[in-house]
Amino acid sequence: MSQAPEWRVTGASVRGAAHVRAALPNQDAILWWPDGQTGPPLILVVSDGHGSDKSFRSDVGSRLAVECAAALLRELLLIQPAAKHLSAIKRALEERLPLELVKDWRSAVDVDLAAAPFTEAELARVEQRRGPAGRQEVVENPRLAYGATLLAAVVAQEFIAYLQLGDGDILTIARDGAVMRPFAHDARLIANETTSLCMEHAAREVRIRFQAAYGEEPALILLATDGYANSFVNEEAFLKVGTDLLDILREDGATVVAGALPGWLEDASTAGSGDDISLGILFRGDIQVSADAPADDGAPEIADTSLLVESSRPSHKGATAAEPESTDEGAQRSRFVARIKQRGPTEPSKRGRLADLGLAEAGASDAGHAEGDEGA
Amino acid sequence: MNRRPGGELATRPLHFIWIADCSGSMKTDGKIQSLNVAIREAIPHMQKVAAENPNAQVLVRAIKFSSGAQWHISQPTLVEDFKWVDLQADGVTDMGKALSMVAEQLKIPPMTDRALPPVLVLISDGQPTDSFEKGLSELMDQPWGTKAVRIAIAIGSDADHDVLQKFIGHVEIKPLQANNPESLVNYIKWVSTAVLKSASSPASQSAGAAPVSNVPVPAVPTAAPSSGGGPVTADDVW
Repeated sequence: MSQAPEWRVTGASVRGAAHVRAALPNQDAILWWPDGQTGPPLILVVSDGHGSDKSFRSDVGSRLAVECAAALLRELLLIQPAAKHLSAIKRALEERLPLELVKDWRSAVDVDLAAAPFTEAELARVEQRRGPAGRQEVVENPRLAYGATLLAAVVAQEFIAYLQLGDGDILTIARDGAVMRPFAHDARLIANETTSLCMEHAAREVRIRFQAAYGEEPALILLATDGYANSFVNEEAFLKVGTDLLDILREDGATVVAGALPGWLEDASTAGSGDDISLGILFRGDIQVSADAPADDGAPEIADTSLLVESSRPSHKGATAAEPESTDEGAQRSRFVARIKQRGPTEPSKRGRLADLGLAEAGASDAGHAEGDEGA
Repeated sequence: MNRRPGGELATRPLHFIWIADCSGSMKTDGKIQSLNVAIREAIPHMQKVAAENPNAQVLVRAIKFSSGAQWHISQPTLVEDFKWVDLQADGVTDMGKALSMVAEQLKIPPMTDRALPPVLVLISDGQPTDSFEKGLSELMDQPWGTKAVRIAIAIGSDADHDVLQKFIGHVEIKPLQANNPESLVNYIKWVSTAVLKSASSPASQSAGAAPVSNVPVPAVPTAAPSSGGGPVTADDVW
């Protein structure tokens, strides 16, 4: 077995120009793990808190979203040795992760709300802008105040996985600069309307894509809140970010990119959407080599659990992060493994649901690196 | 380092479309002249609101309907360059045709999915003489048709409120009843400023929140009745 290539992570989150004018906070959040920013394994999570009047605590909601997602994805990495087969990990991702994610986010929101109930001033502002019905809606569904989207990517030795709930963009860039999307465009997400963690059936809206590590890996993965794409004149201009970043990383290196990133994003918000912008970047450490060189894609190796257990907690780069509660890794592992074991091989998979959303077809056409779903 | 990743940056377009009734009845009692004056007077206010939000590119155009429909100002025009051209009244009230033509322009493309919700303002003093339902259906078949902020202004007592309410599509938002030139000016100014400001401020929201409208519609000016026409006063000439 050959060693999987090194991957690295960086990113930035900036307050939008319109938010500065309106004295609103940055409602995005970004989080990666581990602190060392190299892997695999690597986890990158980005969230966009809704800016609507009813989602007045969405800066907290987005922070909780990235924290919950990163913690769950670490749990998922922990099941690798026990699961032995990539198919089990894939199934855990598709069948359990959306449910656990929404459950954990709701619990975290409820804890926050219990510690800091809505003030009269907060509710009065909603009523002033959205009327008594708007206030009533928040009172009846307080999680609406914390509404947020979620984008995530996991790079493990054996697989890469992508997750999306709501708007925002995930791009993968091949060594030759070809830009692809792991998920098909969701035509419902226009006019600032998005699926969200605060929806009643949020878990159904979570989109997952799993890629085993023996296909053609991307060289670069970008996760961006929608404020970034909305700052470009059209789709082509936005997709050019992918090819340009690949070139800049190759020519100038990661340190230069990390240093320039906040300024790039602020410029984009000022000249573009005015929205908060967060951009997370995962890239192979060997992207400086010729685009013609074959990828180092040997048979996947099983991750060393000790790496996962001993690594530090996720690094929070967005809003001020609360210290996450310590986790019992044995319990974490059992949360996924036990439930996988309860499900027999004939359990209906999420394929049907994905097909219902049109993702299966989109995957066939949109993601050239997605063939070979499962390891043996 | 000078190099920035990505192509051309751009603010988000916000399409504002006047949909004006130019049927023969608009000739009576100076309605069409009042409408021309009201829109012309509103333009500087629109320009001021647009200038306050440099992240929205407000583009204005107008379509008129009488016997048939045609674009009165066909090109989406930057609000800072927008100049009103007076409407003339004659013919019947083919409102459905106008909605069909607006629907064509709200398709993606020529619209982009990165746009801000369009604002459609329908102004009428009568009842449709063509298939309003067909035009409305074509409009609402477009994603940007359903997501648009749709405001209706009824001029005079003969306006068909049921039709205008169907156009709005939200029971919470009522047609605005203008019974005299002053109230028409008030409503035109309100839609050109308060509604435009609200539509041009991007704020994402949960699809599950079941909003009345994607854009919060501000309170209607209190100087004029907000819906269904108020008590008739001596100033009411329509």
